[in-house]
Amino acid sequence: MTETQIVTVADPVVQVENLNFFYGNAKALHNIGLDFPRNQVTALIGPSGCGKSTLLRCINRMNDLVDTARVEGSILLDGMEINTPTMDVIELRRRVGMVFQKSNPFPKSIYENVIYGMRIAGIGDKATLDETVERSLKSAALWDEVKDRLHESALGLSGGQMQRLCIARAIAVNPEVVLMDEPCSALDPKSTARVEELIADLRDRYTIIIVTHNMQQAARVSDYTAFLFEGILIEFGETKNLFVKPKNKQTEDYITGRFG
Amino acid sequence: MNDFWRKGEPYIWTTAAALATTLLLAAVLIVVVLVNGLGVFWPSRVAVAELQDGTRVMGEIIRHEAIFDGEGQRVQFKIGNRDLYGLDFRWVNEADINRMSYPDDVIVLERQEHGNFYGTLANLEGRTVTSPAQGWAELRQRLRQLAGEQDRIAEMSGKLADLNGQVARLRLRERKLLYRGLTAEDARVAELQTRRETLERRFHELADQQSDLISSLRERTATFVDVSGNEREMPLVDIVRPYQPNRMSLPAKVAHYAGKLWELLSDEPRESNTEGGLFPAIFGTVMLIFVMSLFSFPLGVLAAIYLREYAKEGVIVRMVRIAVNNLAGIPSIVYGIFGLAFFVYGIGGSIDQLFFPERLPDPTFGTGGILWASLTLSLLTVPVVIVATEEALGAIPNGVREGSLALGATKLQTLTRILLPMASPGIMTGLILAMARAAGEVAPLMITGVVKLAPSLPLDGQFPFLHLDRKFMHLGFHIYDIGFQSPNVEAAKPMVFVTTLLLVLIVLVMSSVAIRLRNKMKKRYTYSTF
Amino acid sequence: MNKKILKRIQRRDRIARYVITVGGMAVIFSVLLILFLIARVTVPLFQPAVAERVARFPVADQGATVMAAGLDEYRESPFVVDAGGRVQFFAPGGQPAGGELLLAPPVGAGRILAVDSGEELTFGALWDNGSMTLDQVRFPSGFDAEGRRVQSREVARLASLPPLEQGVPKQALVRRDGEERLTQVALLADNRLLIRQLVTETDLFGDSREATHLLEATGLPGEPITAMVLDTTGKNLYAGTGRGTLLHWDLSEAGAVELLDRLPAFPDGRAITSLALIFGDISLAVGDDRGGVATWFGVRDGEGVKRLQRIHVLSGHRRAVAGMIPSRRDKSLISFDAAGQLHMDHMTSERHLLTLSSEAPLRAGSLAPRGDGLFAVDAAGTGYLWKLRNPHPEVSWRTLFGKVWYENYDQPRYVWQSSAATEDFEPKKSLTPLIFGTLKGTFYAMLFAVPLALLGAIYTSQFGNARLRGMIKPTVEVMAAIPSVVIGFLAALWFAPLLERSVPALFLGLLLVPVFLLAAMVLWQGVRNRPLGKQLDRGVEFLLLMPVLVLAVATAITLGPMVENWLFDGNFKLWLFHEAGVRYDSRNCIVIAFALGFAVIPIIYTIAEDALSNVPQSLKAASLALGASRWQTVWRVILPSASPGIFAGTMIGFGRAIGETMIVLMATGNTPIMDWSIFNGMRPLSANIAVEIPEAPVGGTLYRILFLSAVILFTMTFILNTAAELVRQRLRKKYGRF
Repeated sequence: MTETQIVTVADPVVQVENLNFFYGNAKALHNIGLDFPRNQVTALIGPSGCGKSTLLRCINRMNDLVDTARVEGSILLDGMEINTPTMDVIELRRRVGMVFQKSNPFPKSIYENVIYGMRIAGIGDKATLDETVERSLKSAALWDEVKDRLHESALGLSGGQMQRLCIARAIAVNPEVVLMDEPCSALDPKSTARVEELIADLRDRYTIIIVTHNMQQAARVSDYTAFLFEGILIEFGETKNLFVKPKNKQTEDYITGRFG
Repeated sequence: MNDFWRKGEPYIWTTAAALATTLLLAAVLIVVVLVNGLGVFWPSRVAVAELQDGTRVMGEIIRHEAIFDGEGQRVQFKIGNRDLYGLDFRWVNEADINRMSYPDDVIVLERQEHGNFYGTLANLEGRTVTSPAQGWAELRQRLRQLAGEQDRIAEMSGKLADLNGQVARLRLRERKLLYRGLTAEDARVAELQTRRETLERRFHELADQQSDLISSLRERTATFVDVSGNEREMPLVDIVRPYQPNRMSLPAKVAHYAGKLWELLSDEPRESNTEGGLFPAIFGTVMLIFVMSLFSFPLGVLAAIYLREYAKEGVIVRMVRIAVNNLAGIPSIVYGIFGLAFFVYGIGGSIDQLFFPERLPDPTFGTGGILWASLTLSLLTVPVVIVATEEALGAIPNGVREGSLALGATKLQTLTRILLPMASPGIMTGLILAMARAAGEVAPLMITGVVKLAPSLPLDGQFPFLHLDRKFMHLGFHIYDIGFQSPNVEAAKPMVFVTTLLLVLIVLVMSSVAIRLRNKMKKRYTYSTF
Repeated sequence: MNKKILKRIQRRDRIARYVITVGGMAVIFSVLLILFLIARVTVPLFQPAVAERVARFPVADQGATVMAAGLDEYRESPFVVDAGGRVQFFAPGGQPAGGELLLAPPVGAGRILAVDSGEELTFGALWDNGSMTLDQVRFPSGFDAEGRRVQSREVARLASLPPLEQGVPKQALVRRDGEERLTQVALLADNRLLIRQLVTETDLFGDSREATHLLEATGLPGEPITAMVLDTTGKNLYAGTGRGTLLHWDLSEAGAVELLDRLPAFPDGRAITSLALIFGDISLAVGDDRGGVATWFGVRDGEGVKRLQRIHVLSGHRRAVAGMIPSRRDKSLISFDAAGQLHMDHMTSERHLLTLSSEAPLRAGSLAPRGDGLFAVDAAGTGYLWKLRNPHPEVSWRTLFGKVWYENYDQPRYVWQSSAATEDFEPKKSLTPLIFGTLKGTFYAMLFAVPLALLGAIYTSQFGNARLRGMIKPTVEVMAAIPSVVIGFLAALWFAPLLERSVPALFLGLLLVPVFLLAAMVLWQGVRNRPLGKQLDRGVEFLLLMPVLVLAVATAITLGPMVENWLFDGNFKLWLFHEAGVRYDSRNCIVIAFALGFAVIPIIYTIAEDALSNVPQSLKAASLALGASRWQTVWRVILPSASPGIFAGTMIGFGRAIGETMIVLMATGNTPIMDWSIFNGMRPLSANIAVEIPEAPVGGTLYRILFLSAVILFTMTFILNTAAELVRQRLRKKYGRF
C-alpha cells in the first residue's frame, strides 16, 4: 500500500514507516508510511474513526495508555526509532508536545499551568520560569489577556483562552513537534480563528501536526495534508495540490463533501 | 376538583406525607435528644411538698403524668438521698399534696457516692449551724480549703501510680531474666530485686502518708438534715459540689451549667459512670478514630489509586470493585468477630508468645485493646475510603491525565501533582464519613476491647506513654453500658442522654461537613462542559 | 532535559508503581480475605472425629480375668482391674508401669464376679461371697521441683457392703450420693431385684442416724432381666428384659421404690442387651440383640405423666450390642457389639462420629475424662489405646438448622440455648430461631421503612421544590450518620416505655393519619384556587402536611386512653393476653420496626433518590408534553426507568437491616423465640453474636457456631449487596453517571 506515498519530503522530522496499529484484535492503522516535514503544518484529515487521532497519538506514544494497544512498524523522530524500549517515553513526550480536542487545563493557576512541564522536570529557578511563562503566553497570544491575573485559576478562563493556554503549556517546554488533536472542535468561530492565527504564527518554530475534520481549516492552516480512510493512508501531498487536484477518487469525494 | 383526583394528585400528596413523616421522625429524634440532654445540667428548683398524711417530700420535680388507672395527675420527684431512702425517685399523687413550697435554704449536694443529697445544713465540723446563710458561706469556704488538700492527695496519687509503674516494670524485667534461665541468685536479678524493694518501700511510705492525710481529711465532717429531720453526717471530702438552687440567680445558674459542662468534658466518671465526666470516653473515642485513620486512610487511598490508576481494567477489576463496594455493606459485627479471631487471638496471641512470654498466661496483646479495636474499625472503614477515593479519581476527566502525561510527566507526577489534589475533597469526604462511622460504631468494639471503666488512658505519662494494648472507653459503648447495664437505669438516664447528645453532635457535625464538601466538589469539577 | 533529574523521577515513578501495585493489591486482597478467615474458623465444626490407635498391647496373662478398664485424664496411665482385685497400670506405649494397686477384698471374699464402672473412675465390685465394694482410682497430681507435672496413683474405698442374706447376686450396682446415701441394686439368680439403701440422716441437733432399707423392686414382668443401670445418685433405676420390656423405678425417697414406667420397647420383643445413661442422667441408651442403639427419655403424655419414649436412634451394629460407654463430658456414647466393633455417636446430633474395631469382642473399656482417649480391653486380653479428636460432636446440619428433640422437651423444637448452670446440660444450638429473628425484625423494619423511603424519594426527586430539595437530601443523608447505638437507646429507653403506655394510640394513629390526610387534601381544594393558595408554589406539600401529621398523632395520643377504656377495658396489655393469648413484651417488633426502619430509611432513600433524579429530564419532558399528568409521568415513565435503582436501594437497605447489631441488641429483648407476633421480641443473629461471644471459649463449639452465624450474615448481606451492585452498575452504564 506504500504506493500512496507519492510525495517525498525534503527535511522530515517524523518518519512513519509501515505502521500497523491494533486495539486488541482490531486493526486501526494499516501500513501507514508518511514523512512529516520540519517547521511545516501537516493536517491529517478523514472521516470520524479513520484513525487520524490514533496516528497522531502514536507519534508521542499516548497510545501506551491504552492497555490493549499494539504497534508494529516504525516511527522515527529525527531519525531515531521511538517504539523501542530504550526510547524514553518521558523524553519523547517532552520533544513532542500535544494539544487536545477538549482543553484540559489543570485546576491550578494560569502561571502554574504554563510551567507545569518545567516543574515536573525539576526546574525551579524563578527567573527562568517567569521568562518561560511570558514567552509561552506571548507565543500563544494570550499574554495580554491574562498578564494581570497569572495567579488566578485557569478554570476561570473562557473556552478559547483555555485552549490557547493549553498550547502555551505545550510549547513552554520547547518541543520540536506539536501535535494538535482537533484543537478547535469545541470552540466558537471567533476563538477558532484566533487559534488558527496562532498556528500560523507557530509554524516557523515548531513542526505542527494537526488533526481536523474541518476541511476548510485544513486548507487554511496547513502546508501538507494527509487523507486517511478506514485506517489507510489514501493520499498525502502539499495542501494546495491535494485540495485542488486530488489524485485519488476517494479523496476527491471526501473533500467535495460526498461523504464523511 | 374532579381533575385533582383524576390526575393522581392524591398520590403525590401521599408521597409528600411519606417525606414529611420521615423528616418529622428525624426531628423528633433530635428534639428528644436535645430536650433531654441539654436540660440535665440546669439546676432545677427543689420543691418541698407537704402531703396530707403530714409527711413531707423534698426533691426536684421530674415530670407530671396522668395516673394510670384512676383520676388526676401524679408527680415524680427526684428525692435523692439514696443512702437514706434507697430510691432516687418517688411518685406522689397530686391530690395528696397539700402545699408546695420552694425554701431558699435547701442545699443540694453532689456527692462522690450515693447520688445527690437534698436537705439543709445542721452542723459543720462539730459546730451547730444557727444561721443558714452563714452556714452556707462557711461550708463553701471549708470546701475551698479542702480543694487544696485534695490537690495534694491527687498529686500523691500520681506519684504513687508512677512508683507502682516502675515497680511493675522492674518485676517484669526480673521475670524476663528468670524466664531466660537466670536464677534468683544471679547478680543482675538481685540488683533488680534490691532496686524494686527500695521503690516498694518508698511506695508504702508514700501510701501511708496519703492514707493518713485522707483519714484526717475524712474526719472533717458536716451534718445535713433531710426534709423529714433525718440527720446524715458526711465527710466534707465526699461533697463534689454544693449548691442552693432555689436561691440561684440566672447568671449563677448559667455558671453552674458551664461548670457542669466543663466537668463533663474534663472529668472522670463517678458512681459506675452515671455521674461525673466523660473525659476518658471522649479521649478513647478520639484516639480510636485517630489510630483507625492512621491505618485506614493510607491503605484505602493506596488501594483506590491502584484500582483506578494502575490496575488494568477488566473483569477482575470490575469484580474487585463490586466486592469492595460490597464490603462497605457487610455488618459491622462480622468485622468485629473477625477482629476478635484474627487480631486479638491470632496476631495478639502470637505477639504475646514471641515478645511477652514472661507475662503469660496474662495476655498483653492477646486480649482486646485499643490497637485491635482500631484495626478492626479500619478494616470496616477501608471500603468506605476506597469507594470515595475511587469515585473522586473517577470523576476527574481523562483529558487532565492525558494533558499531564503529554507534557512528559510520569504517572507518579501526574498523580501527586494533579490527580490527588483534584480528588482531595472527595477523599476528604470519604475520610470524614469513615471517621463519623467509626465514632458511632459500637458493636465491633464490644468484642475487641472497649470496657465500661478503663483504669487508665491509652496515652499517659508513664513509659512508653502510648499503651496500645490497653482497654479503653468509648462514648457509644458508654451509652449502651449505662443505659442497659447499670443497676439504676432511671438514675442513669440523664447521663445517657448527655452522652447521646455529645455523640450525636460529634457525628452530625462530621457528616454535615463531609456532605457539604462532597456537594461542593460535585459542582466544581463539572467544568469540562463550557 | 537534565539526564540526572530524568533518571531520578523515573526511578521514583517505578518505585511508586511497584509500591502502589503491591500495596493496593495487598490491601484489597487482605480485606477480601476476611470471609475466608472467618469461614476457616467454622470448618472444624464439620470435620469428622478422628481416632488414632496409639498402642495395642497384652494386658493380662489370662485375658478372661480382666473385669474393668480405666484411663486417666492425661491418657498416660491406662489400667485394668482383674478378678483378683489387682489394679495394673500401663505406660501409654503398653509397657507395664508397675506400681500395682489392690482393691482390697472384703472379709471372706476371694474373687470379683463383676465390676460396674461408674463415673470418675469409680468401680463397684461384686465379690464372690456377695459382698460389694465401691472404690475410686485417683491420680493426685502435683508439680516437681522443675515444674513438671507428676501424677501419683491411689485407690480409695468409698464404701463397702456386706453380703445380702438372699444370696449372691448375678449382677449388682452401687451408687453413692454424697455422704447421705448409698444405694445398692442387686439382681438375684431368681430374677428378683433387691434394693438396699444405707441412709444417713442428720437431725436438727447434728446427731446422725443410720438406717438401712431393704426393698424389692415391684412390677417385674416374668421375663429375665438382662440389663440394668442406676443413675449417678442412685435415684433412678432402669432395667431391660430379654423380651424387650423396659422398666423404670424411682428410688428417690428413702425406703420406697416406685415403678414409674413399664413398657415394651420393641414391637418384635427383641432382647435388651445393654443399658447406659447418657451424661446428665436423663437419657437412657438402650442396646438390643439385633444391634440397635437408641436413646429414650420421659416425655409428658396427654395426662401430664412422663412416659419413656424413644427419641434418638443411633447407628446400629450388625451383631447384638454388648456394652455401651457413655462419655462423661458430653452426650456422646460408645457402643460395642459382640463382634468387636465400636461405634461412637453423639446423641443430640445423632451424628455417627467413629467406627473402631478390636480383634476380639470387648470386655471392658473406658473413655478418658476429657473424652479425648479410649482404652479398651478385648476378650483375648489385648488392650487398645486410642487417641480421639472429637471437638464438636454436637454439631450437625440438623442441630444447627433442623428441629431437634432435646431432653425434657415434649416435642422436637428449634431452640437456641447455649449455656446453663450445669455442665451436663444439653446444648441447644439451633440457628433457626436466630435466623428467624433476623428475618422477622428485618421484615417489620422494611415494612415500615420501604414505603416511607421510596415515596419520600419520589416526592423529593420529582415533585419537590428544587431549593428545598437541596436541603432535604443532605438532611436525610445526615440522618444516616446517626449512630445506631443512639437509635437503639432511644428506642429501648424512650420509645418502648412510651409505646407500652399507648399501644391503642398507635393503632388509632394508623387510622387517623390517612383520615387527616384526606381531610387536608379536601380542604386544600378550597384553598388552592384562591390567591393565597396560588402563591404557595407546588412542591411544598410536605411542609403543609407536617402540621396535619402532628395534629393526627396528637389527636391519636389524646384519644388513645379513651379508646383503650372503651375497647380494651382500660388495659390493652391485659386484654391482649386474655383475649388473644398474646403476651406483650415491652421491647417488641413495633419498636424494632420504628428503630431499625429509621436506621435504614436514609440508605434506601438516598439510593432511590439518586436513581430517580438520574432519569434523564428529556424522558419526563416528553411524557408531560404528551399531556400526561405529573403523577402519570412518574408512575409510567420515571418509575420504570429508575426501578433498578429502587431495587438496589431496597436490597442495600435490607442488607443493612439484617446486619444491624446495636439497635436489635438494645431494643429486641433478645429472647430467641419463634413467633411472628408483632408484640413479641426476638433475638437476631447479629445481637446473638454480640451477646454470646464474650462468654464463648476460644476454639469451643459455641465460638465456632458464632463464627458460622457471622458467615451466614456475611453471605446474606453479600448476596443482597452484590445483586444491588450489579443492578446499579447496569444503571450507571445506561445513564452514564452515578
